[in-house]
Amino acid sequence: MVFSSIVFLFRFLPLFFLLYYLVPERMKNLILFLGSLIFYAWGEPVYVLLMLFSTVVDYVHGRLLERLRGKRRAKLVLLSSVVINLGVLCFFKYADFLIGSLNAVLGTKVPLLSLGLPIGISFYTFQTMSYTIDVYRGQARVQRNLLDFGVYVAMFPQLIAGPIVKYRDVEKSMHHRRITLPDVSEGLKRFCIGLGKKVLLANNIGELWAFVSAMDLRRISMLTAWLGIVAFGFQIYFDFSGYSDMAIGLGRMLGFRFPENFNYPYISASVTEFWRRWHISLGSWFREYVYFPLGGSRRGLPKQLLNILVVWMLTGIWHGAGWNFLLWGLWFAFALMLEKLFLGRLLAWLPKGIGILYTLLVALAGWVLFALETPAGIWSYVKAMTGTGVSLLDRQGVYLSRQYLILFLVALVASTPLAHRLTERLRGSRTGFHIALYRFGEKFIPAGLLLLSIAGIVDASYNPFLYFRF
Amino acid sequence: MNEKRSALFTIIVIASVIVVFTAADLIQKDRLFSETENRVLAARPEFSLEALLWEDYTEKYEAYLTDQFVSRDKWVAIKTYMDLALQEKEIGGVYLGSDGYLIERHLPGDYSAVQESKKIALLDKLVWEWDAGVMLVPTADNILTDKLPRYAPYYDEKQLLDQVESHVGEEHFIDVYTVLQEHAQEEIYYRTDHHWTSLGAAYGYDAWAAYTGRRGGRYGAEDMELVAEGFLGTLQAKVNLDMAGDPIYYFPETLKRPLKVTYDLKVETDTCYEASHLDTKNKYGFFLDDNHAFVEIETGYPNHHTLFVIKDSYANCFIPLLIPHYEKIYVLDPRHFRGRLFEFMEKYEPEGGMDVLVLYNCIHFLEDFAYIE
Repeated sequence: MVFSSIVFLFRFLPLFFLLYYLVPERMKNLILFLGSLIFYAWGEPVYVLLMLFSTVVDYVHGRLLERLRGKRRAKLVLLSSVVINLGVLCFFKYADFLIGSLNAVLGTKVPLLSLGLPIGISFYTFQTMSYTIDVYRGQARVQRNLLDFGVYVAMFPQLIAGPIVKYRDVEKSMHHRRITLPDVSEGLKRFCIGLGKKVLLANNIGELWAFVSAMDLRRISMLTAWLGIVAFGFQIYFDFSGYSDMAIGLGRMLGFRFPENFNYPYISASVTEFWRRWHISLGSWFREYVYFPLGGSRRGLPKQLLNILVVWMLTGIWHGAGWNFLLWGLWFAFALMLEKLFLGRLLAWLPKGIGILYTLLVALAGWVLFALETPAGIWSYVKAMTGTGVSLLDRQGVYLSRQYLILFLVALVASTPLAHRLTERLRGSRTGFHIALYRFGEKFIPAGLLLLSIAGIVDASYNPFLYFRF
Repeated sequence: MNEKRSALFTIIVIASVIVVFTAADLIQKDRLFSETENRVLAARPEFSLEALLWEDYTEKYEAYLTDQFVSRDKWVAIKTYMDLALQEKEIGGVYLGSDGYLIERHLPGDYSAVQESKKIALLDKLVWEWDAGVMLVPTADNILTDKLPRYAPYYDEKQLLDQVESHVGEEHFIDVYTVLQEHAQEEIYYRTDHHWTSLGAAYGYDAWAAYTGRRGGRYGAEDMELVAEGFLGTLQAKVNLDMAGDPIYYFPETLKRPLKVTYDLKVETDTCYEASHLDTKNKYGFFLDDNHAFVEIETGYPNHHTLFVIKDSYANCFIPLLIPHYEKIYVLDPRHFRGRLFEFMEKYEPEGGMDVLVLYNCIHFLEDFAYIE
C-alpha cells in the first residue's frame, strides 16, 4: 500500500487509527504489528513472509548475542546475521544483475531468476542489520519480546521508503509512548504537507520528465534537456522527501519520533554538505556501519579517499541493481574526494552562491546517470545538455518552459527553507495578528493541501512509486 | 491550555476531511458509467485467495475504489482547474487553443521517417495499381496555427504531404492543404472534436474538383443547414471542461435525389445521414452512420461513373458531397475490413473501370493506413 492512494487514506488510515487510539496501551504494539502486516501484505501478499523471516532471524541473533556477550563466538553470531541479511538482499535484488553482467562479459546464457523485488527490502534489511550490530557493540539493549521487535521492523510508516530508523532511536518508545494532542496535530500536519509534496509537486513536475525522457533523446534541444533533468531533480526530491514527511508524521501520530531525512539539500554549498542534507538516514547508516569501521578519516588521507570510494560505490548500488547506479555513486565519490583534497577549501573561500551552483550542477549531472539507464541514453543526454550537435533552443523547449514556468517557480521556492522560516517567525511573534494568522494557517493550509491531493489521487493519470527498486 | 485547544482544533479540521469522505464513500452506491468521462468505471473485483496471491487482486481493488470514490466527477474537475491554473496550455495531449478551440497534439518526434516511408510505400502500391487519387487532409494543429498556444510544437504535415506528392506524382495528388490554409479563419474544424466540419469538407471538395477538372464552389456556407447543436466531441471528452459545444451542419443538396445506402452488405436505408446519432454523445456519427467496414451508395444520378473510396472517419462528411458525380460509390474502411483489398475491389469494378480515392487525415494515415493486397 502506498500513502498516496484512496485505499490508504480512506480505508486503512481511519480504521487503523481508530483501533490504535481506542485499545489500552499494552495492546497498541499488537495492533500496530497486525496493521503493519496488512499494510505490507496488501502490496506484497507473498513477500510478507520474507519480511517476517528477516525479523525472526535478527531477533534470534540478538538473543544469541546476549547470551554470548564478551565471548569470542559472539563475533561469529554477528557474522552470521550480516551474511544472512546481505544474502537475502543480494539474492532478491542483485542476482539478476550479476547473472546478466556475467552473461554479457562471458557470452554465457544463464537464465535470469526474474524474481520481483520485494518492496522496501533495502530499507528493512538495513534496519534489522543495524539492530544486531548495535547489540553486538553494546549500543542497544536486546529486545526479548518478539512482538515488540516485530513492531520495530514492520512498522508501516517507514517500512517501504524510510527513513531508516536505528533501533536505539526508538528503543524507549517501544514500551512507553505518551501520545499527546500536539503530537497528533503535528503529525497530521506533517503528513498533509508530505502528501502535498508528493501528489501536487512531484507528480505534476514528474510529467515533464516523463515527457522529455520519452522523446528521441538524440534530437532534443539543449533547453529541453535542461528542463527535463531539472524536472527530474525536483520530482525525486519532492517525491522522496514528501514520503519521508508522511512517514515522520504518521510516526508522530503513533507516538514515535523518527529522525529527519531531508534538510533542504538543494541549498547546499558543497557536495559534502549535500550528502548531509539528502537522505540523511542512509548517509548516517553508511557512515556508522561502513565508513567508521573502515577507519573513516583517522588513518591518513589515502585511506580516507579509499573509504569514500567504497562507501559511495555501495551507496550507488544500494539505490538499484544497475551499472548506472554504480556510476552515479562513483560520480559523487569523485566530487567528494576532490573536495577533501582541495576543492572544499576553495569553495569555503568563494562566495556561497558559487558553491550552491556547483553543487546543483554535480547533482543534476548525477541525476542524468540515475534516471537514464542505458549508456546510449546517458551519452545522448549529456551531449544535449552540453549543446553538442543539437540546437540550443527550439519551439518544443520554449513551449515547455512557458508551460511549466509556474510549477518550476513553486518548486523552487518549496526547495528552500523560506516557507519554514516564515511560519517559525509567525509562530514566535508576539503580535496578536501574527499569532492568529499562524493558528489559522496551520489548520487550513494542511487541510487544503489534503483536499487538493485527494483530487490529484482520484484523477490519477500519473502517480508512480519511485522507490520500487531501492 | 491554549496550545492544547489549538492542537485539538487542528486535529478536528484535518481528521474531519478524512472521516467525512470515508463515511460518504462507504454510504454511496457504485456507478457503472461516468457521463463526464465517457467511460465505464471499474467494478468491484471478485475476491478469492488465488486472486489475492497471484492475480493482482489488490491493484484491481484500488482501481475500483478510485473509480467509485465519492463525488469523483467533482474531484476530477478540481484537478482539471488546478492544472489550468498551473499550466493552462494543454491537458492530456490536447492543446487549449485560443477562440475556444481544442486542438489535438501531435509532436514532431511522434512519427519517424521510417514510419513515413513505410506508409508512403504502401500507398504507392495502391496508387500505381489502381490509378488512385490521394487526398490526405491536414489536422487542425497544422492549419489553425494561429490558434495554438504560443510556441506549441506540432508534427509538420506539410513535409509529409510533399513527400507523398513526390512519390505518387502530381497527377495523383489532391492538394487539400493549400485550400484549407486559405480558409484557416473560417469554421473548418470542430472546436471540441478532432474532425473537420462540413464546411471544411466543402473546401476539400473544391480541391477535389480542381484535381478532377471540375468547377469548385458547388457547396458554400450559405448552402448548409443546421441539424444539431451542442456537439461535444472526442477532444472535449479528453479535457473534460465545460464547453458550449459545436453546431453540426450538412448540405441538403446531397439529398436532392433518392438514395439507396447499404451498410456492411446488410442494412439498407434511403439516406447517408443517420439522424438517430444526433441525440447521442457521438453526433458526428450522423455522417454515414459512424464507422462501417463497407458502405454502398446508389445515387439517383445515372451517369455510369463509379467511385471506390478507401478512407478513415474524415471521409464520412465528405463523401456525400460527391453524390452528384457518381452513380455508385463504394466506401471501405480498412480498419474494420478483414480480407484482401485488391480482390475485393476487383469484385466491384464495373466493365468501364472506376475512380479510386484514398482519403485520410495525415495522422490517421500514419497510424492506421494498412491493407492486405
